[in-house]
Amino acid sequence: MRTIACLMGLGAAVLSAQVRFEDIRKSPGNDWLTYGGDYGSRRHSPLRQINVGNVGSLVPKWTYHVETAKKLEATPLVYDGMMYFTNTNEVYALDARTGRRVWQYRDEQSVKQNVNRGVGLLGDRVFFVTADAHLVALHRKTGAVLWDKKYADSSKGYMATMAPLVLKDRVIVGVGGGDGGIRGFVVSFSVSTGEELWRFYTVPGKGEKGAETWSEFNADWGGGATWMTGTYDPELNLVYWPTGNPWPDYYGKDRRGDNLYSCSVVALDGDTGKLKWHFQFTPHDTHDWDAQSIPVLVDTEFRGKQRKLLLHPNRNGFFYVLDRVSGEFLNATPFIDKLTWASGIDAKGRPVELPDQTPTPTGVKVCPSVRGASNWMSPSYNPDTQLLYVPTLEQCDNVVTSTKMPEPGKGQAGGGGEQFPAEPGKFYMRAIDPKTGERRWEYPMTGPATMWAGTVSTAGGLLFFGDDDGQLVALDAKTGKHLWHYNMGQKLTASPMTFSLDGKQYVSIASATDMFTFGLFEAAVSVPVVKETVVP
Amino acid sequence: MRIPIIPLALTFLSVALMAQPILAQPNRREDRRNPMEGKPEAVEAGGQFFRAACSSCHGATGGGGRGPNIRDGRLVRRMSSEQLFDSIKTGVPGTEMPAFPIADEKIWAVVAFVRSLSAPAMEGNVPGDEAAGSAIFFGKGGCSGCHAVRGVGGSLGPDLSNAGIQRSIGQLRESVLDPSARPTEGFEAVDVVMKSGARISGVAKNYTNYAIQVLDRGGGLHLLEKKDVQEITLHRKSLMPGDYSTKLTPVELQNLLAYLSRQAMRNERRVQ
Repeated sequence: MRTIACLMGLGAAVLSAQVRFEDIRKSPGNDWLTYGGDYGSRRHSPLRQINVGNVGSLVPKWTYHVETAKKLEATPLVYDGMMYFTNTNEVYALDARTGRRVWQYRDEQSVKQNVNRGVGLLGDRVFFVTADAHLVALHRKTGAVLWDKKYADSSKGYMATMAPLVLKDRVIVGVGGGDGGIRGFVVSFSVSTGEELWRFYTVPGKGEKGAETWSEFNADWGGGATWMTGTYDPELNLVYWPTGNPWPDYYGKDRRGDNLYSCSVVALDGDTGKLKWHFQFTPHDTHDWDAQSIPVLVDTEFRGKQRKLLLHPNRNGFFYVLDRVSGEFLNATPFIDKLTWASGIDAKGRPVELPDQTPTPTGVKVCPSVRGASNWMSPSYNPDTQLLYVPTLEQCDNVVTSTKMPEPGKGQAGGGGEQFPAEPGKFYMRAIDPKTGERRWEYPMTGPATMWAGTVSTAGGLLFFGDDDGQLVALDAKTGKHLWHYNMGQKLTASPMTFSLDGKQYVSIASATDMFTFGLFEAAVSVPVVKETVVP
Repeated sequence: MRIPIIPLALTFLSVALMAQPILAQPNRREDRRNPMEGKPEAVEAGGQFFRAACSSCHGATGGGGRGPNIRDGRLVRRMSSEQLFDSIKTGVPGTEMPAFPIADEKIWAVVAFVRSLSAPAMEGNVPGDEAAGSAIFFGKGGCSGCHAVRGVGGSLGPDLSNAGIQRSIGQLRESVLDPSARPTEGFEAVDVVMKSGARISGVAKNYTNYAIQVLDRGGGLHLLEKKDVQEITLHRKSLMPGDYSTKLTPVELQNLLAYLSRQAMRNERRVQ
């Protein structure tokens, strides 16, 4: 190829920096470098330019429309002036100041089309998973594909949706498909080569510890999917990965026992993938209550002792506090009012189940609903208020089961749940004190109870979240008082984030089909037309 | 390389390739199968109808105009044959695409023709020595100075790791022989003079009246606001040399095409 005969002078800042592990450990600052903001998934930004006093003048700065999108679920990552996010089988890289696209990558060969929740960053690379469970590495500045690793067989029901977790020199991902009979796992790859480093199965194989909790059920069908991003404690070098329901979701007769490690959080050694401890929230689940709410890692005083905590608002309606060093159960309290399946959680962390809540062929009323009291929509923790903000759904379902074991690999869950038309669900934003489990305040939402949007907290004293009516909302984090909202005009299925560029703070959130970015109002400055010469 | 216009004369090549086994499967539902698929006479008949009825909106070669571009594959490859059939038979609601009340057989022929416009090069067994083509790509041809395959090569030209599924054989051929025939979005050569006096040269990934994003030859990415820019020069002529028809022998050219046509990240049978 011909060389370019021209001067290569330097103008504005050139993007040449590399995302380091240490940078992700310090995130979020001006950038946002991992799905949950930081490794502990607290989703709390130290930025305070936008605050309680001025959020009322927040205005849209730019919108990027994704032509192929139907349901964007990604949290964008921002680094060095660029924004990265995904649609199904696609990655978009935008100039974060202007929303103009710099590059796009599309996997034309993926055989599935599921949603996707974002990318991971390290060095000069961007990582994402295709819907049919390939992990792909792209060049951060050009979108050129570097390697592509198939890590699960989509013809056997596997799929992938999560944003990769990147730490040290490795990228860690999981799988979806637990509603159709797969064997869940978490897998780690080398960032540079794509070589598989370790793999942890969430359903023990025959003879392995935990297999006795399955009554000879075939481990290949056991479920325990790993479809959300895990969190990480760099000091302990432990990865905390939430796991999904056992399969068949609603038909439990053939899998008698607790069904480890479904509906659990597993603590894995970041280097080896070895299980350090586990905690199961819902033993022998028959209501599709995946434990997929992201574990939030918080260091604080708890009952007079400074502790490393893991906070988890579970789909089953209880808010759990664990010691994340040992996995010790510390506390659990209901964070919903409509709760019928258990009277509480005992001293060992096991639910005290109530009768007549197992699904029947004709249906049984169960609260919370199949979607759960909260789901994958991200909560956030503000260290100033010391509150955890949780999108919460009050809803009951009529839950039915099939009369016999469904066929694996055919997308059959063995039953399902449906809300009662005369008793529609309702979303609330709830602020929970992790030390007591008490609700400090709540903010009710109007809407059809179909949203999947999460939260971001800021040092400006704000809580941003997508509501059930398609609006981005800002509340006072201390009191829950409404301060600002913007009608996005679409259903919201993603979590917001915030970043700063050139000394200006922005807030971004994906709607169903567009990426929106907001900032404080500034008077427009006229831009003269630049002289442009076209050489034929 | 530029994504080229496919001259109608080249469509015979795609037609011939349609009979080959499908190696790459783009995103499309394979539901109702096109009974005309792989039949050259159907493609010819569909082409005749297309030129008479469709070209007024989609362009004589499918490159678009009042209607969308259906030639470069972005739109068509994601649609199933049934979806294409329905779009012609009943129109596309909310758009200017009307229903065509013609016989189903004729519609299937048009679908076969439209598919032939953008059939991925990898779907055919393009003749040539793939290994020799690789040697040209990374050697005599100098292609890897600007293009990368699987992370090896430059970044001023499009990444070709998936060239075999993103481009038809006609597009690949024209990209090599006539790279300036059609600009590729995001790879237009540009020189920028900043108000500070600094100069930046490379390819424009995007530009508007208010901002321009430039990837320079060193791989540096510049996110510029026009308020800081003094002057811009855009080069319509591709940075890629236009002399490959003489630089490469016909055999070398064919080998290079054989290599490029097999590039897909999921193609395990490619030459490493």
